[in-house]
Amino acid sequence: MNLPSTIKTSVRALRANWARSLLTILGIVIGVMAIVLVISLGQGAQNLILSQVQSIGSNTIILRPGRQPTQPSDAAETLLTDSLKQKDIDALLKPINVPDLQAADPAVLVPGAIGYQNSVYHATVLGWTPNALGEVFNVYPEQGSFFTQDDVKSYAKVIVIGSKVKQELFGDSDALGQFVTVHGQKLQVVGILPAKGQVTAFNVDDIGLIPYSTAQKTLLGIDYFHEIFLRAKPEANVDQVAADITATLRESHNITDPTKDDFFVVTQKTIVATVSTVTQVLTIFLVAIASISLMVGGIGIMNIMLVSVTERTQEIGLRKALGATNKNILMQFMIEAIILTFAGGLLGTLIAITISALVSFVAQTYFALAWPFTLPLGAIVLGVGVSTAIGLIFGLYPARKAAAKDPIEALRFE
Amino acid sequence: MALIQLENITKSYESEGTLTPVLHGISFSIQEGEFVSIMGPSGSGKSTLLHILGLLDRQTTGSYLFNSQDTSMLDDPARARIRNKYIGFVFQAFHLLKRTTVLENVMLPLYYSDVPKKEYAQKAKIALEHVELSHRLDHLPSQLSGGERQRVAIARALVNDPKVIFADEPTGNLDSKTGATVMNTIEKLHHQGKTIIVITHETAAADYANRIITITDGLISSDKNVTAPHTHYAK
Ligand SMILES: Nc1ncnc2c1ncn2[C@@H]1O[C@H](COP(=O)(O)OP(=O)(O)OP(=O)(O)O)[C@@H](O)[C@H]1O
Ligand SMILES: [Mg+2]
Repeated sequence: MNLPSTIKTSVRALRANWARSLLTILGIVIGVMAIVLVISLGQGAQNLILSQVQSIGSNTIILRPGRQPTQPSDAAETLLTDSLKQKDIDALLKPINVPDLQAADPAVLVPGAIGYQNSVYHATVLGWTPNALGEVFNVYPEQGSFFTQDDVKSYAKVIVIGSKVKQELFGDSDALGQFVTVHGQKLQVVGILPAKGQVTAFNVDDIGLIPYSTAQKTLLGIDYFHEIFLRAKPEANVDQVAADITATLRESHNITDPTKDDFFVVTQKTIVATVSTVTQVLTIFLVAIASISLMVGGIGIMNIMLVSVTERTQEIGLRKALGATNKNILMQFMIEAIILTFAGGLLGTLIAITISALVSFVAQTYFALAWPFTLPLGAIVLGVGVSTAIGLIFGLYPARKAAAKDPIEALRFE
Repeated sequence: MALIQLENITKSYESEGTLTPVLHGISFSIQEGEFVSIMGPSGSGKSTLLHILGLLDRQTTGSYLFNSQDTSMLDDPARARIRNKYIGFVFQAFHLLKRTTVLENVMLPLYYSDVPKKEYAQKAKIALEHVELSHRLDHLPSQLSGGERQRVAIARALVNDPKVIFADEPTGNLDSKTGATVMNTIEKLHHQGKTIIVITHETAAADYANRIITITDGLISSDKNVTAPHTHYAK
């Protein structure tokens, strides 16, 4: 019996019970959909994160106190560790220590809100250097200007605010020169940033920038930094610079055992590696869950095929009487199972691609995210391939049962 | 050379350890072109015998030569091939596929044959002409009368131009008038040279045969040639 007629026969048998066929493949549809969706969304998300990471600039190096975080509690520890101080910056900026270092901008995170008259707005308030935002992210005030190096030296109580902060606190009235309250201190607004939205890790619209010295001494009463942004010279080897930084800090912190480091260095490369690892682990995890759904779907297919074999005992007997061999019957039921799972896989893939395209459309249109939609060819091949394989595996047992039916018993049926 | 040659065929069914002997030693031969009617009381082993003759089942002991070939030497695929090529079956319960048109029901044996696909429809149409159902090609079995259904089954049995047609009570589900049409159709095939072996309870149907074998309790109790009253199907 040739393949096209076998397929035709199978399709007819499946169509006769189309509602049952549809319900049967639901497990496969969901499983394949989950796999394709996870892979394609994972890819999209990873591309998005990586593109943001790349916009930091490859010669930016971030220095953080504490240990390289491997679990959530480590991140909290990072904020509380006081290992990075002014003397570290002084040491790093010495050319004999890190020859290719161009700049070091310390940052201090000020928790709390910005107040003006009766309104309070929860923004990200950062103590920073005057030039960091401009030089690293190419964002400059639209009105007024950044605070200066002198402001840093004199612990000036000044602030540069983002457009959203300005809008929330001042509405349409003029903000420049007004005083806002942060951590109980009155700070004068000297600059307002343009509306830029998300720039790498920051939402520039939602930010308040003050001299890091003011943040340290006047607002928080601390003498350490939460983060130091370092920039290598344009042509420098970033890995080498990172190594020099590490060596310098170990020396100034008297650390001989690298596992006891009280700081860690983040470069674009390490972020990319971390992001890839995280998304990979997540993908594997979700694919594993989806595989369970596929297993259940496969068992459903097997079950319904067994029912179908019993229902069609007579047909099997008749076909054998007319000259069908066991192999012919086996093929017919195998093909039926594979058509079922293949259809399920195809449907699941189509739904997943539609959702994935929709997500990327929404992300691009409403959230202005660089979330490109790419047809996840690998995921499609995987989804359809896996579902077909499931048809092969779970269809085999019922098909063998069908093939083994004795034609006389089968014809006697009814 | 006889088309069918049986030597001392016995058959016992075995289920759950108990052996049920059904046929106790049947011997006869049938020449090509004969019209044989097998009769006998219910449970005497007629269907059992027909299943062995039709290569749907194997005898317990004894030898069966079909078309000069020792059937005990044949494996399952070889038996399937012979069923497909040389044998046509007609059953009491018709056994047509539901949801499948008359034409495609008749084409069914061709799927398992060497006939090129492009000849399927042509051959099926010719077979349906023989049973005078050319006007029902696209009907479903459920849209046909009982007699018409059995004639479709006959068309299916002869579509691959077999040597012999086995029919197990082909008129059992039909009233006597419809049964007569079906028997006329079968007789027509006999006149075209087919060997016919029909199991029947009804003497009216047996009257078409030119030889009647009677089986009682798994043994042949009589085997006689008769002059069929219906020598001309066109009566
Ligand atoms: N698979 C089986 N297992 C056990 N016994 C069986 C089996 N098939 C048939 N028999 C027995 O064999 C005997 C003959 O059965 P068979 O069907 O050949 O009779 P039959 O002559 O065709 O009867 P009927 O005229 O009622 O169709 C019966 O007693 C039946 O119970
Ligand atoms: Mg019987």
